[in-house]
Amino acid sequence: MGIKLKQNVLEILKTLQEKNIECDASELAKDLNLDYIVLMSAVNDLDKANLGGFKEKYLDYLYLTDEGLNYLKKGLPSRQLINYLVKNKIKEISIAKLKEKSELTDKPFYRAIQNLRRNKWIATSKATGENKVFLVADDFPNTELEVFLKTFEKKPFYDKSKLSKEEVELIEILNKRNLIRREKSTQRLIFLTPEGKKIDVRKIEILKEVSKITSEMLISGEWKHINLKPFNVSISGPRIHAGKIHPLINIINEIREIFLSMGFTEIKGPIVESAFFNFDALFQPQDHPAREMQDTFYLNNPKQSKLPERERVEAVKATHENGGGCGSIGWGYDWSYDIAKKVVLRTHTTATTCRRLAQFYRENEKPPVKVFSIDKVFRNERLDHSHLAEFMQIEGIVIDENVTLCDLRGLLTEFYRKMGFSKIITRPSFFPYTEPSLEIAVYSEKLGEWLELGGSGIFRPEVTYPWGIKDPTRVLAWGLGLERLAMLKYGREDIRDLYRNPLKWLREVSY
Amino acid sequence: MVKGGILLKGGIKMPTLELKVERLEKLVGKKLNIKDLEYDLQWIGLDLESIDEKENKIKVEYSPNRPDFSSPEGIARTLKGYYELELGAPTYKVNPGSLEINVDPIVNKVRPYIVGGIIRNIDLDEDEVATLMNIQEDLHWALGRDRKKVAIGVHDLDKIVPPYLYTAVKPDSCKFRALQLERFELTLAEILKEHPKGIKYAHILEGKEVFPIIFDKNKEVISFPPIINGILTMVTDDTKNLFIDITGTDFRAINYTLNILSTTLAEMGAKIESVKVNYNEDRRQITTPDLNLMKWTVSKKYINDYVGVNLSETEMIKCFQKVRFNAKPSKEKGMVDIWVPAYRVDIMHAVDFVEECAIGYGYFNLPTTIREGCIGEFHPFQELCNLIRKIMIGAQYLEVINFLLTNSERHYNFMKREYVLKDLIQILNPKSKELDTTRTQLLPGLMENLLYNRSEEKPIKIFEVGEIIELDLSTETGARQDLHLAAVTYHENSNFTEIRSLLDHLTISLGINEKIKVMPTTSPTYIEGRVGKISYNSESIGIIGEINPEVILNFNLEFPVAALEMDMNKFLGKQLI
Repeated sequence: MGIKLKQNVLEILKTLQEKNIECDASELAKDLNLDYIVLMSAVNDLDKANLGGFKEKYLDYLYLTDEGLNYLKKGLPSRQLINYLVKNKIKEISIAKLKEKSELTDKPFYRAIQNLRRNKWIATSKATGENKVFLVADDFPNTELEVFLKTFEKKPFYDKSKLSKEEVELIEILNKRNLIRREKSTQRLIFLTPEGKKIDVRKIEILKEVSKITSEMLISGEWKHINLKPFNVSISGPRIHAGKIHPLINIINEIREIFLSMGFTEIKGPIVESAFFNFDALFQPQDHPAREMQDTFYLNNPKQSKLPERERVEAVKATHENGGGCGSIGWGYDWSYDIAKKVVLRTHTTATTCRRLAQFYRENEKPPVKVFSIDKVFRNERLDHSHLAEFMQIEGIVIDENVTLCDLRGLLTEFYRKMGFSKIITRPSFFPYTEPSLEIAVYSEKLGEWLELGGSGIFRPEVTYPWGIKDPTRVLAWGLGLERLAMLKYGREDIRDLYRNPLKWLREVSY
Repeated sequence: MVKGGILLKGGIKMPTLELKVERLEKLVGKKLNIKDLEYDLQWIGLDLESIDEKENKIKVEYSPNRPDFSSPEGIARTLKGYYELELGAPTYKVNPGSLEINVDPIVNKVRPYIVGGIIRNIDLDEDEVATLMNIQEDLHWALGRDRKKVAIGVHDLDKIVPPYLYTAVKPDSCKFRALQLERFELTLAEILKEHPKGIKYAHILEGKEVFPIIFDKNKEVISFPPIINGILTMVTDDTKNLFIDITGTDFRAINYTLNILSTTLAEMGAKIESVKVNYNEDRRQITTPDLNLMKWTVSKKYINDYVGVNLSETEMIKCFQKVRFNAKPSKEKGMVDIWVPAYRVDIMHAVDFVEECAIGYGYFNLPTTIREGCIGEFHPFQELCNLIRKIMIGAQYLEVINFLLTNSERHYNFMKREYVLKDLIQILNPKSKELDTTRTQLLPGLMENLLYNRSEEKPIKIFEVGEIIELDLSTETGARQDLHLAAVTYHENSNFTEIRSLLDHLTISLGINEKIKVMPTTSPTYIEGRVGKISYNSESIGIIGEINPEVILNFNLEFPVAALEMDMNKFLGKQLI
């Protein structure tokens, strides 16, 4: 089997055969002017081909400290003193003066004096009454230690494992004087196996390195001979502009799934709605402030809607005027057909759920019925960072016999739990068309605070009786805004962003 | 933060009230701390809006059906029940008085009803005066529909001579000095034009031949309801006794208003005295305020079943007492007799006692139970939308969603589309003039999205699947909603072929490719010769092409745009198998 190697690996193999010794990896890289990583990757290839490899060696090197390097330049303290005396032709000098001139600190100075005396190059005496140094020799040859120190000029370190006995002693002396520091490191030695040493490089095929595989390479079989250039797998690729679902739609679909899992059927109703279904059928008196123009979009075209079947309209009229026999005292005013015929943009999806009550009546349905809607509603608002003129409302109702306030609490607990809120409070509240009414507050782990997140209640008898829904059949209802949830989920501050479609956000959004 | 809870409240703005904790403590007769109040108030139906710990004040929101919560006295009354410091209905003594108000039947033409009351020995501190002002404002709003239905007048009793006459006069026939503009005598007509309150409330009397007025025995003007009082009865620091008049169009509402006002003043230590109102037309004399408790008899089983609990008679009676009702076992079997204080204006039906019982019991004490049943289904509309979305994102189109409300000029003129105003949905009263109609196409929205994102990296390929609304007088509400799909591609090399490929991908994926044809057509929005009509079974359902450069420039864009828009209604409810 022929051996194939990449061009650069082959070059390295040649070099190693020529050198015929184990080489230090970093030195070799320097010699070959290669990146260390590239060299090691080539060695790795040699290893795979069983031609070479590397082994690690732990090094313990001894270097001169800064002080040691200083002495290497200026000479050891004893040599510095001798040089001073000789140069200035001084035969005798007081120790104090010598010290002053020498610029040495106490320790090296006195050690130098001691060493010079031991060498018998100087003598000291207090005979003159002053502690004085006398030069007593004429010749001052380099000491063994000085000779050793000088060797550091040529080679900056000694390998601790290779010291001779004498060298160990000398190093010890220098070390005591804080002139030696140790440095440990690992050395990689590159070697060739016996096969690597004897292989004929001319017989090695060159392996081509390419950046991509082409169709030709695949078909011709050439791919077997190529080596794909490795990629840096850690860096991100450029962004792709994929198709994505709008974040609001994503959250709508999540909530639709929750409703479905709880047995609810999805309904839709008209956006252009009659005041009758939007207000009157929900027992909102015709002079109610919420019906005013400043809050509701009324239409100029179409101007009037058709009211539903006469007897149902009469039933709604009666609940407003006198309770209509449902046990209520009613609002006690003259109900107007014309006001009920006005056309509005639906202000709440409860208009749609109310239409579902009408359907329940017309089709003579039997409870239980559970329906939900997630749909657009409109309020006559100026747009700002927290207000929209149109937004989505989530709403669910249950028509069932003997359903209770406790059932409603159970339903809400389950619904909000599925939305990810495990802590929920239901507390007394007020809505014109429910009694009892509740407000829902949930604890957001993300924000660490309680949030009002919806309203709920049991439809008043005044709302349900006109559609033949009578006690003990009752209608549980609850609703909440979608945009608030979306802002929480996606961390948006400005509610308008949800409908402005900034591509920066849509392209990068995490669902 | 946007309030999530407002949605079901039907857009009603909630009234608020500032409470000094110290004053509340005095009224309740119990040491209160802010933290406990924050927790407790929610269980009687009050929403804490803000806390000022430094000033020891809190601000609460109350529901508009509970105008009796418009004063600290009213809230304290309920809290005493919650803390079980006082149980059952509070009682207020009404001393019989002799003052009479005669009602001239002519008022039926403008403002048919009046009731009144006398409050003696008032000695109000600064806080109480502020409360009195505030409560009037709140009652005018909550029960009075901004004075239209109910208007309150408060007078110095000792400056006027009974009996009083409630009548109506021609706008120019009577002059008096009104509060806040006391230097001139003005006629009623002039007041409506010149007096700030007259200007503000003139609309209530618009088109009326005669205006309501209250005179005293000497024909001095007491009040010109619902606009302004005469200067004669101005309340000062020296005022000892008050006369309160309430006029309006709803007899029940004016009585409720008087009841709330007089019981609050009674809580402040004043004495209430009744007034006789003579409706001369039908020789009826009524005495107000009538603070008698209202009696209801309600079935215990009804209440237990509705709440979903099984309270004993004693427990149930205690619940009602805690919300300050009187309650006793009824002579009727299985029933309980309940007496409701005159300030509670929200009780209309036996179901209202269900909520009161639950509040008395504590919502937090109620169990949570689960009812099984029903199989859910998605609506075909959303199912089709989601199918289209899957197909479109597969073609690397990014979804956008735009508003249904739009501006007719941008929606049509920018697109070079013609329109006839009478064929458009028209909004009568938009706060933002920008929004005057509903969209009939999705494409203009997508063009605006391109404009908004014009500096983003190209290519920009976006789509929307959603509703459009068109005028259709044949329907019940005069409009029709259709499901549309639109897509645009925006970059240097966008062209017809690219968008045609998208159409093919879509129709193939929907399984309708065989029945789709694209034939040459013309449209001012598109470039001539590069626009086609999309038809399904030879019925036109959409348009596809390269956008006219004029339109591109209208939206300040700088590359070609290719687009398609289709009506998808045909494909609703498509069977999968």
